[in-house]
Amino acid sequence: MKHYILVRIKTPKKTSLLLKLNRLNVDIKEISYEKDCLKFLILDKDLKRVKKYLISFKVEIIDETGIYKLKKELKKNNLIITGIIFAVIIFLILSNLIVSINVIHEDSTLRELILESLKEKGVTRLSFKKSYDEYESIIESIKEEYQDRIEWLEIDVEGMVINVRVEERIINDYEKDYSTCHIVASKAGVIKSITTTKGVAEVSINDYVAKGDILINGSIKLNDEVKANVCASGSVYAEVWYNVSANMPMTEEIKKDTGKMRYNFMIKKGTDETVLLKSRIKGEKRVENIYLFKIFGIEFYLQKEYEVEVEKIKYNEEEAMQKLTELVREKLDLKLDNFEEIIAEKVLQKELKNNNIYIDMFIAVREQIGVKEYFEESRSDTNDEEHNEYTNRIN
Amino acid sequence: MRIMKNLQNFLYDQEYFIDIFQNCLHVYYYEELLSLSDTLIELKLKEFILVIEGEDLSISSMDKHEMLMKGKINNMRFKR
Repeated sequence: MKHYILVRIKTPKKTSLLLKLNRLNVDIKEISYEKDCLKFLILDKDLKRVKKYLISFKVEIIDETGIYKLKKELKKNNLIITGIIFAVIIFLILSNLIVSINVIHEDSTLRELILESLKEKGVTRLSFKKSYDEYESIIESIKEEYQDRIEWLEIDVEGMVINVRVEERIINDYEKDYSTCHIVASKAGVIKSITTTKGVAEVSINDYVAKGDILINGSIKLNDEVKANVCASGSVYAEVWYNVSANMPMTEEIKKDTGKMRYNFMIKKGTDETVLLKSRIKGEKRVENIYLFKIFGIEFYLQKEYEVEVEKIKYNEEEAMQKLTELVREKLDLKLDNFEEIIAEKVLQKELKNNNIYIDMFIAVREQIGVKEYFEESRSDTNDEEHNEYTNRIN
Repeated sequence: MRIMKNLQNFLYDQEYFIDIFQNCLHVYYYEELLSLSDTLIELKLKEFILVIEGEDLSISSMDKHEMLMKGKINNMRFKR
């Protein structure tokens, strides 16, 4: 490859210089005529001859061309380039390095088991990350190896940290076959509806039943003779009653955002939280943390601090009563399913004491009261301790 | 450019070429540059001397046997 150099020769007699260059048989191109000087590209071997024979002219090298220019630039900036390359290599190494492996499960033995298994497969702290397919095959092999202990396993790579989420396999191993059962009342009440899918209904609508009474019989009888024993099934809804005692203060503090918000930074190591900057919110505040990244086990958060003002509300007796009954209703509603409902409610007693209101309430609820109670065929209508235990577990 | 000229030279077996463009002149295989100024350029070719007259004449590129000149060419003559 020809090595051209851009040069500038200062001379008022440009034509004379060109003639002299021509006599020297030099190869020059891209000649540009500037004031009192001539600028052109010349071959490096020709430049040596020019310098040798035209000593009266001052030759100034301006620039290199092509690959030589690149070489020159690289040489000039070698420290910066070396630094960048080094930084890129360090970045690549660090971004592919595992600094921590977290197995997310409450059972420490299972955690250790997973960590040990991962170690055997080359996934350890300060080792390089593996590809998605490799992780998939590791997951499959661990699941296969511990198929009696692991239900589900997931490896989640978050930056330099690997989170292993694991679900333990729970095997229910009941030795006995409890295939015969009654549906009995779990609490006292008045039957409101009964649906039998298996067995014989023993009660009718509006019947009062006590706790433990058989509602749907698993023993099918004909003329007082047991013809078959089945596991009774069906749903029995009854009106049941609750006495509820509740209280609440007559004054309440409500926190409201003022609209003022300031940013801050927070680092978290384990359960220790440290706010990096001084808070610019005076007084009451509400904090919202936004996760940024995690490095060497330290989590970095952007913190949004909202200024809040506290408003004190003082209820009168009527308002407090209304609020308290609503609270009781809400709490009870949480326990009820779609077919269960509150039928009636009544405040039996109320009392104001020490700026608090206390009430006793009577609540009537339409509720599913039928639960399974297992029995052995030979000992019909009786249940042993194990049966009861199993029944409780089911319920 | 030179590759093409070499190829043409090889194919046609010519001693020299003179190409005239809009405001430049390309001479291939001249023997000597006899004179050079803003208004006159004289080139010795094998069989004649090429005299180029014009205004603001200048050489854009040159080597031992090839030259590209620019400027307003008014007249071109061959001196034998």
